[in-house]
Amino acid sequence: MLTYILRRAGLALSVILATLVTTFVVFFAGPSDPAQSLCPENRCNAERLQAIRVNLGLDRPLTVQFVEYFKGLFVGRDFEFAGETTHCGAPCLGFSYHTGRSVNDELFTRFPNTVVLALMAAVIFTIVGITIGIFAAVKRGSATDRILIGGSQVFGAIPYYILALLFALYMVTFWRVLPQYSAFSEGAGVYFAGMIAPALILGLVTSTSYTRYTRNSMIETLSMDYVRTARSKGISERRVLVNHGLRAAMGPIVTILGLDIAALLTGTLITEKIFEVDGIGRRALQALFDDDLPVIMGTVLMAAVIVVIFNLIVDIGYSFIDPRVRLS
Amino acid sequence: MDGTPGSATDIVADEIEAEKLESEQARALGDATLDVRTGRSPGRVAFDRLKKDKVAIVCLVIIIFFILLAIFAPLVVALQAVDPVTGAKADVGTVHTELIDFNGLPTVGMSASHWLGVEPRLGRDLFARFAFGARPSLIIGFSAAAASTIIGVSLGLMGGYLGGWVDKAITWLIDFFLSLPLLLVVLAVVPIVQLRIAGGNRLTAEQTSTIRFWVLIAILVIFGWMGLARLVRGEVKSLREREFVQAARAIGVPTRQILFKEILPNLVGPIIVSASIAVPTYIAFEATLSYLGAGLVEPTASWGRTIADAQNYFEIYPLWLWPSVIGLSVLVLALTLLGDSIRDAFDPTSRR
Repeated sequence: MLTYILRRAGLALSVILATLVTTFVVFFAGPSDPAQSLCPENRCNAERLQAIRVNLGLDRPLTVQFVEYFKGLFVGRDFEFAGETTHCGAPCLGFSYHTGRSVNDELFTRFPNTVVLALMAAVIFTIVGITIGIFAAVKRGSATDRILIGGSQVFGAIPYYILALLFALYMVTFWRVLPQYSAFSEGAGVYFAGMIAPALILGLVTSTSYTRYTRNSMIETLSMDYVRTARSKGISERRVLVNHGLRAAMGPIVTILGLDIAALLTGTLITEKIFEVDGIGRRALQALFDDDLPVIMGTVLMAAVIVVIFNLIVDIGYSFIDPRVRLS
Repeated sequence: MDGTPGSATDIVADEIEAEKLESEQARALGDATLDVRTGRSPGRVAFDRLKKDKVAIVCLVIIIFFILLAIFAPLVVALQAVDPVTGAKADVGTVHTELIDFNGLPTVGMSASHWLGVEPRLGRDLFARFAFGARPSLIIGFSAAAASTIIGVSLGLMGGYLGGWVDKAITWLIDFFLSLPLLLVVLAVVPIVQLRIAGGNRLTAEQTSTIRFWVLIAILVIFGWMGLARLVRGEVKSLREREFVQAARAIGVPTRQILFKEILPNLVGPIIVSASIAVPTYIAFEATLSYLGAGLVEPTASWGRTIADAQNYFEIYPLWLWPSVIGLSVLVLALTLLGDSIRDAFDPTSRR
């Protein structure tokens, strides 16, 4: 068991390292010039541009920059801004070229918004998806089943961003059924009320796949011999469904849930953009248009770490449930 | 019961049960590729089953309609009448400011010369934008799906059959690509690749759009092969231990022939299913990228681009927004449902 965990952890670490190197090479070695974008055309002369580059450390060789960045991640590093030295503590992601704030600050102040959105959506899609899935499985073959599954198939097949966009345009902007997003500083009440619209559409669209997983998994479990045994013992149908059926059917669903939450924590970008939620996805999008390399690096790295860690947890958790996985 | 509302009659359901039983018998006999009843190939069985699926047929008709619309876009647009104001037939690119009032809103609505009216601000014909807008979606979707399928199958075959360090490397590569935050990386890579190709020269809008077009296909392929590669690898790993492959190896059949004549035919089902599901995924992804500003750009007519521009006018001029929204949704929906039907046809156990 221990060797399996160590092997998986080693693999995970190598993937994170590779992500680090790749993003660094792609972004820092890329042809974009942050100094130029900080200072729109004709505003700065060549000397001024060079001064900005020196200030940002962009004049040094790429390898030096990479070693510096890498060092910053593990032991922290010192920055010099206009003769003043600022220390940047251990998981140092650098400073935003645009706002001058530390990237850690930029990301960690916004991360809670993304987490709230992802978790609210997760609550909605697990409850809605699993309930409809069980219902369809119990009513299997009936018209209700066909409508529910057909409906979820259609709803899930339309491109997500179109659904989210129409929902935002009509429900929030036009008919004002649901309130607009507002920051947490304006009060917890309005904040959570504003999160309902994005969480609802994200949750409902994601729930369509859970409906189908749950239905298939339940149908499989309910056809098992032990369920028939339970029924023949005279246990109430409700208990058969919940205690015998659902409990066994949940195994694969929990696995997918783990991976989906990781994906949501990194992938609410479209939702955040459409509903103007101030999360890390929207910040990353902004950074992309500003050529704000440290912020882009920071978000990509953070997202990769989250995905890899969740993958690792799911894999290790699964190896406890199904020991055969360890041998492969 | 089969995930496709109101489609399968009881007769179809019975036949599926019967076919399932037979194929289980065939499997019990140790030969999954033979349909005992008629001797049809699994592809043929799936195709026959697909022909009876009403949803699949409806989806296919819709898809063919869009393909024809895209191919014959110039001819269809030419069916519109001559505009009395401009004195010419509308085309896809011409700007007609004379059809726009001082607020930027069109002065003409839906008419014989402009079936869907004209675009606010620029006065371009909206029906032409709609018809031509189907082109990039379809081309990108189908070509990216074809290319990523080829790459996925090749890498999966190599990893699964060769094993050893090749397999380790490919598995690692799959893990690596899957752990990248897809959308973020893609959004960041598009402008960088574009700048690399342009080499610092200023590009015209047309050039940018052409470059973006190819960059999008390349990126969809680069980030889209992993799922199929993983699937094929797993299948090949178990197939290569089967008796018929070992027998072929024992009598000295060359590796290439084993791969393409013995193993690959067993994977036709999963490959077709995966490719057919990839097409709508890529079309939706391309539209999303265009919406976020990293996809196609003006003056290319593209549904994703139109939706992004038209959303600011959705209250005062919804006619700009809706054709593209409906076109994109219906096309992706039809392709997805057809993909689901194809999957069901190849794997009858999924229809319950």
